[in-house]
Amino acid sequence: MNGSPELYDGSSTRSPALKIDGLSKRYGDFLAVDNISLRVEAGDFFGFLGMNGAGKTTTINAIVGLAAISSGTIEIFGHDNVRDWRTARRLIGLAPQEYNFDRYLSIRDILIYQAGYYGFPARAVRERADMLLERFGLTSKARDTYVKLSGGMKRRLTLARALIHEPKLLILDEPTAGVDVELRIELWDLLRELNAAGTTIILTTHYLEEAESLCRNIAIIESGRIVAMEPTERLMGRHGPATLSVTLDREFSAPSLARGARRDGDLRTLHFDGLDPAQIAPMLIELEAAGYTIENVEFRRASLQDIFLELVRP
Amino acid sequence: MSARQAAAGVLGFGNRTGLATLVKRELVRTMKVINQVIWPPIITTVLYVLVFGLSLGSRIPQIQGVSYAAYLVPGLIMLQVIDATYSEVSSSIFQGRFMNSIQEMLIAPMSAVEMVAGFVIASILRALLIATLVLVVGALLVHALPHNWPLYVLVTALVATLFCSLGIVFGLLAEKFDHIAVLTTFVITPLVFVGGVFTSTRFMPPLVREISFANPMFYMIDAFRFAFTGTGDVPLAVSLGTVTVLTFAALAIALRMMVLGVKLRL
Repeated sequence: MNGSPELYDGSSTRSPALKIDGLSKRYGDFLAVDNISLRVEAGDFFGFLGMNGAGKTTTINAIVGLAAISSGTIEIFGHDNVRDWRTARRLIGLAPQEYNFDRYLSIRDILIYQAGYYGFPARAVRERADMLLERFGLTSKARDTYVKLSGGMKRRLTLARALIHEPKLLILDEPTAGVDVELRIELWDLLRELNAAGTTIILTTHYLEEAESLCRNIAIIESGRIVAMEPTERLMGRHGPATLSVTLDREFSAPSLARGARRDGDLRTLHFDGLDPAQIAPMLIELEAAGYTIENVEFRRASLQDIFLELVRP
Repeated sequence: MSARQAAAGVLGFGNRTGLATLVKRELVRTMKVINQVIWPPIITTVLYVLVFGLSLGSRIPQIQGVSYAAYLVPGLIMLQVIDATYSEVSSSIFQGRFMNSIQEMLIAPMSAVEMVAGFVIASILRALLIATLVLVVGALLVHALPHNWPLYVLVTALVATLFCSLGIVFGLLAEKFDHIAVLTTFVITPLVFVGGVFTSTRFMPPLVREISFANPMFYMIDAFRFAFTGTGDVPLAVSLGTVTVLTFAALAIALRMMVLGVKLRL
């Protein structure tokens, strides 16, 4: 390879960004990943969730080539990551959970050398490195080594490094672990922007609201097996109904109204589970017509956390 | 790991930019630890030449046609090349594993061949730099200069490749930093010191001389000194042949371990 390598443009094909078939990974007697299959379409924002030790990082390591596969196949935009490993790896950008920067290089050189390992000569990527440093607010630190960066800056550098070779598939392992709320929101915006520009993103996270907010599709892994894989909306809708709670000015005593409501300790509050949205307004009007004053209305949807716990609890 | 996967890790020499980047990275690292790698060989050489070569050596007759101090210089160069190459490569690999920074390379489209070649080429360049710096000291103090420059470069490159390979092997196997020192302390240093740095086997009792012939360091130093004195304790073909065989054996082991991803790709 001389000069810039031709980047295979994965988005021009119909192959999924990631296709895993029957992947197993065994460490001695321990089966860390047990015959999983996954499909992530090009352009998707995909959440890969699971508890600690469920097999998330092992799966990611198998995808990026850091773990040898025990059985099964992994394809990146149609390229087998074992047979056609060079193309497959060139298409992936990884932002690992732990900081693993080269301590002998400056921040700027970390980006330039990483691009070098991917086959891009320094002269071809200097501009892009500076652009990424600017975009991630790291320009003032460009000449320092990474030990001088704050936690948030290290997170941003992880992401900048993963993007230096313009990957089509970005894999983020806990990208917002240990960062404050402000930076988390900033990173979310950045990720949405990247995804909108065509980068397929796979994200693992412990913050379920993060997956709920960002991901269009979600897979949940538990003890090395996939226990759910579907669009976020459907997953949220399928598990656990939405609940509407109406609090009245006094104890409710007209059971002919508000059919299907349940009450708990507070006798003034009615809870409606899985109420058809079309019925909400007529029901409230009925209650008011019966002389009740509505003091509070609360709508509570099952959170991804509830669903997650329901799925992974033994 | 299947044969298919093993092949995937080794095939191809296509990512030359990746290889060149690794070479550059290793040399940048060397310059960042210059007080551990570049200056010590020069200072210790000056001290050895002054204390052993010029003070004590003045009482020793010529060896292989040169003064004892001039005889000492090639041995000292080998001593420093061996020491610096092994310690640099093994600690670079071990640190990379320990800090996980080696993953920057492992996730990139770089083959095992390219990675090993990167370490080897950087080691040869580093070794030639150290050898030349020590040589300058030797030339200034005792006018020791090689007569056979191609042999000088060849032996330096072979020895750098050999100890780079050993550095890779032990850098991969080590579980803690201390393990790296095992080879230096118990094998390299003793063998180098009795391998003819300071004296010719011709001055040794017959039994010790026989044992010396089993010492691989002896052949490296003898072949290298041949570039300076034009003569050796054994024929050049024997010393150079032995070094070459050892080098390619160690290189094959290092390459095999890198292909398998020993302690790298779990």
